[in-house]
Amino acid sequence: MFALVDANSFYCSAEQVFRPAWRDKAIIVLSNNDGCIVAANKAAIALGIKKFQPYFKARSLCERYGIIVCSSNYELYADLSHKMMQVIGRFAPEQHIYSIDETFLDFNDCLQTIPSLAIHAQKIRRAVWKETRLPVCVGIGKTLTLAKVANHVAKKWPGFRGVCALDDPNFMQQVFDRLSPIDVWGIGNKTSKKLVEQGINTIQKLRETNLKRLPKSLFNVELQRTINELNGIPCKLWDGIRADKLQIFSTRSMGKRITDIENLQQALAKHIAIAAAKARQQHSLCGTLLLFASSSPFDQNPISYRVTIHFSQATNDTSQLLNALSESINQLFDASVHYYKVGVGLLNLSNTKHQQFDLFNTHQLNSPLMNVLDSINQRYGNNSAFFATQGIQENWAMRRELLTPQYTTQWCDIPKIGC
Amino acid sequence: MKFIPITASAGITGFESPASDYLQLPLSLDALLIEHPSATFIGKADGHSMQGVGIYSGDILIVDRHLTAKNNDVIVANYNGEFICKIINITDRELLSANPRYKTIPINEGDQFTIEGVVIRSIRCHRDSQLLAKTF
Repeated sequence: MFALVDANSFYCSAEQVFRPAWRDKAIIVLSNNDGCIVAANKAAIALGIKKFQPYFKARSLCERYGIIVCSSNYELYADLSHKMMQVIGRFAPEQHIYSIDETFLDFNDCLQTIPSLAIHAQKIRRAVWKETRLPVCVGIGKTLTLAKVANHVAKKWPGFRGVCALDDPNFMQQVFDRLSPIDVWGIGNKTSKKLVEQGINTIQKLRETNLKRLPKSLFNVELQRTINELNGIPCKLWDGIRADKLQIFSTRSMGKRITDIENLQQALAKHIAIAAAKARQQHSLCGTLLLFASSSPFDQNPISYRVTIHFSQATNDTSQLLNALSESINQLFDASVHYYKVGVGLLNLSNTKHQQFDLFNTHQLNSPLMNVLDSINQRYGNNSAFFATQGIQENWAMRRELLTPQYTTQWCDIPKIGC
Repeated sequence: MKFIPITASAGITGFESPASDYLQLPLSLDALLIEHPSATFIGKADGHSMQGVGIYSGDILIVDRHLTAKNNDVIVANYNGEFICKIINITDRELLSANPRYKTIPINEGDQFTIEGVVIRSIRCHRDSQLLAKTF
């Protein structure tokens, strides 16, 4: 049996941990640059907030109902996530952290020691709340996909109070009859629509589906795996869940529009540095570099530029990528454009182990330098050492006007306790 | 037959330290001050009501959420939306101060009240700490 434990509107809940006065309030969290709503808790959604809406469209609603608005405080979320994962990890011999607020537990080696999975799940939920003040939901099932289904029930169905174990055949039947394919992990809007067209509108029907009898356009290995998982046959495991990324993107909208070539180059250089560090971390080399820069999609005449650079020899050396940027910056810059968004993509990634060398290659990877750079930044914090191309003053840096203190990672921000 | 040449060399190595068999990890303040790292948070005392137990304004409080509060523990509570540090009297549902100039606070039905954790250590800086003073 597996469990999926995840936090309820994690960013909002994290904002409430050190603000007890906010504990029962409606809260939303905004994306980088305070542009979009990326998280909203139940109370905020009940007041009409929609996730991923631009903030300016919801501002009056927030003011009317006193909804608390926060910039995203990633320093706080990362630390609280780490602590939450540690607490959850105590409850099973094996744990896989899937995302900042979701983790899987594997009970298969210790099932005899757990008399009731539902009670065990309650214990997890209580311990996480007591020790981190974060509310979580726990779903338990025979496969990862079923654990995810159980988690959905725990979260959405009234009366479950955040815990659901799919271990009773009668109860499982009810769940399979009542939920639709769209509620299943890995089934997106498109696939779900196609399935419904074929009359497959419940999980139960999906479980009984023989994909070979359906139109070919529906058949793919992933869907077959999902069906097997719904039937209790484990097909997905930790390693399969997240392989190394095949593409790495770093992109962001600007706090302040960019209108000159120097700042545009600096902003792109910064994203190259971020993406290249990620590539080195997963031991990948990049064969193709994609650079793009654009005005806002809300502008009257949205405009965007992009450049693709192919390397004869794949690289993850920041300095080589930055050279490529210098050579193509003129193709991206237009003096009449007020740039709102820039980004970098590393495509065509390959593993450093399988690197193809080129007899005539004149550019050598400077791996020792990159190792030193990465170690310094890991030890002393991001951007302790960086390439001068990135610029020292980030005129276009992220806007986080409603940022709460970094209660757990900065000494000057620790919470005050009245005596 | 192929030979792989390996160069032999003799370097100066000096004498092994007589203490090398007795190496231990250096003392860690974290280990002394924090018992449950994932369930602990750090706060700063603000006020004078706890002087009797040695907590002065500006002291650092280590708050453990793993422990369950016992009678007369020094605790941090969420009292009507604010963190406060008091002594808990569970039997009489009261929050006691450790300073005669401060009144006892009864916990009433209408109050928002939860115990946030047990204060297991408090730290005083007898000279100012640069880290705590740092502002951005």
